[in-house]
Amino acid sequence: MTGQPPAIEVSEISYSYGDVVAVDGVSFAVAPGEIFGLLGPNGAGKSTTVKMLTGQLSPDSGSIRVLGMDTVRDTAEYQGRIGVCFEEKNLYTAMSGHENLRFFGRLFGINDLDTASLLDRVDLGARGDDRVADYSKGMRQRLMMARALINQPDVLFLDEPTDGLDPVSARTIQGLITQEAERGVAVVLTTHDMHEADTLADRVAFINQGKILALDAPESLKLQHGQRSVRIRSLGQNGEVEERTIPLEGSGVADSLQDTIANLNVLTIHTEEATLEDVFVAYAGRGLGA
Amino acid sequence: MTRKVISAILRKDLVAFSRDRFYVFITVIGLGAFVAMYWLLPSSVDETVRLGVSHTGLDEILTPIAAAENEALAIFEFDNRDELVAAVESGREGIVAGIAFPASFADTAESVELLVPAGLPPEYLPLMEGIATEVAFFAAGEIPSMSIATRTVILGVDRAGDQISLQEQMRPLLAFFVLMMETFALASLVSIEVQLKTVTAVLVTPARTRDFITAKAILGTSLALGEVLLLMVLIRGFVGDLPVLLVALALGALLVTGIGLLAGASGRDFIGVMFLSLSLMIPLMIPAFGALFPGTAAGWIKALPSYGLAEAIVGVTARAESWGDLGPALLGLAAWCVVLLAVGTTVLRRRVQTL
Repeated sequence: MTGQPPAIEVSEISYSYGDVVAVDGVSFAVAPGEIFGLLGPNGAGKSTTVKMLTGQLSPDSGSIRVLGMDTVRDTAEYQGRIGVCFEEKNLYTAMSGHENLRFFGRLFGINDLDTASLLDRVDLGARGDDRVADYSKGMRQRLMMARALINQPDVLFLDEPTDGLDPVSARTIQGLITQEAERGVAVVLTTHDMHEADTLADRVAFINQGKILALDAPESLKLQHGQRSVRIRSLGQNGEVEERTIPLEGSGVADSLQDTIANLNVLTIHTEEATLEDVFVAYAGRGLGA
Repeated sequence: MTRKVISAILRKDLVAFSRDRFYVFITVIGLGAFVAMYWLLPSSVDETVRLGVSHTGLDEILTPIAAAENEALAIFEFDNRDELVAAVESGREGIVAGIAFPASFADTAESVELLVPAGLPPEYLPLMEGIATEVAFFAAGEIPSMSIATRTVILGVDRAGDQISLQEQMRPLLAFFVLMMETFALASLVSIEVQLKTVTAVLVTPARTRDFITAKAILGTSLALGEVLLLMVLIRGFVGDLPVLLVALALGALLVTGIGLLAGASGRDFIGVMFLSLSLMIPLMIPAFGALFPGTAAGWIKALPSYGLAEAIVGVTARAESWGDLGPALLGLAAWCVVLLAVGTTVLRRRVQTL
């Protein structure tokens, strides 16, 4: 991920819908092979940012370069090298899975697309000839993911790719995201699922009211805002469960922890690390659902 | 690349269209119904005027009058006025009006009673007055002093001997029905793309908005033109100046494509699209209805976008007209095509870009 030019460079972009400022001076960069999480509540400006990144909207100000190309000037060329998975299940329901992929393949100039192997990658090989109208929500989402991979993109934009899916479908999609990143694809993952972002993303940006509040690796953000303590639950002499917290700050922490563990009948030990949700609340003053 | 993209979108749209049971159903059923309707309509016009008369002792006069008119006049005799009134009211044996001669007519020739149903074309009155005058002349042996106007007034288009059959009059209307069905189909296809946001998925590929709109316009025009050409074949519409007719039909297909794009881009749901399509198409059917009643079209009807289409179809197929006669109407139609296509594509472009 180092030493290479960024796959995406966003510099001070802004966009307004009339008088309403949706995105206000947002900047970030995403390296090839990096999974970048864009987190925020509904209406925070995530979708507008992604629309500008995918060439659906032109920023009012600022600039975006994707794969070294200007998204406003070189739209058609760079759109040939990106893959987009939308939150809406915008598939042609009267057509089969194979037909959907073949159609989008032709739009990319691929006439001999191997739709079977793409469908196999998303566990839809057996249902490829069925009409999408007969697919479940999870199957449609997996087909959307397959569609985003048709042109073997260098950059992937995924908008809530696992929202409302069953665990099996969600795991399939998360596995694909990881595989693509390992292939060197820059992935922009828009989500309000903090756990998913924590699991998948190399770095996350918190966006609220059109501005980026924080941008860092999930671990760093959690460490910055966590309590840095260990919570120990043990079985007391009279059979009751006891709980104590040992701060990890200051000197002699290791000895203190070792003594405590040695003298107690320990049941569980938990680090008191903050979650990404906690970090977001700390920055935005509200949770994602607010 | 653009041509390949447009071709890909067209192929996809054809698949989508062929799998939409509703549109396939209304297209096949509609086309079949319109063709059947055409062939069930009278193919010729009976120009014989059928008049009923009630009289006393006028047989010797009426028979030679009817014979002198050859087949243009048929006189049906009734014994009394009441029977004549009943025949006129019921339209029995095609009787369109009646003349009730009084019992004293053969002697005095003072007055007759003209029995006409509501809605009888006014040109029948002078004909009936003329017959009454003629009978009075034969009865009296001199010109009578009755106050019956003898001046013949022909209102509207005088097509005596060259009547347009109901089948011929229906051609523009049937053609317009078919074009209207395709407007619904195109509007629905566009609307589904917009509402399901599949167009957004298309536009983050190398496909451009203009490719999408061009493909939709080609599909709409091809479907509309293909179906209206098929209809014209099935209803013997290809008579007269073929190039003029083809140009008129092609322009008609472009016209409804513009409307389809506009309705599809503006409607929020299926009902909305249907409502908008109908709202736009119904006024455009007026010129086609006008062809059913020659000479009745008001001046403002000529300003409607579809006037040129109806005028060209009737002009070519029924009146043997050509470029010289129909040039202005076709130019007007072409101008409206440009306007409606421009409006339709602009509205669709804006809708797509703001999704």
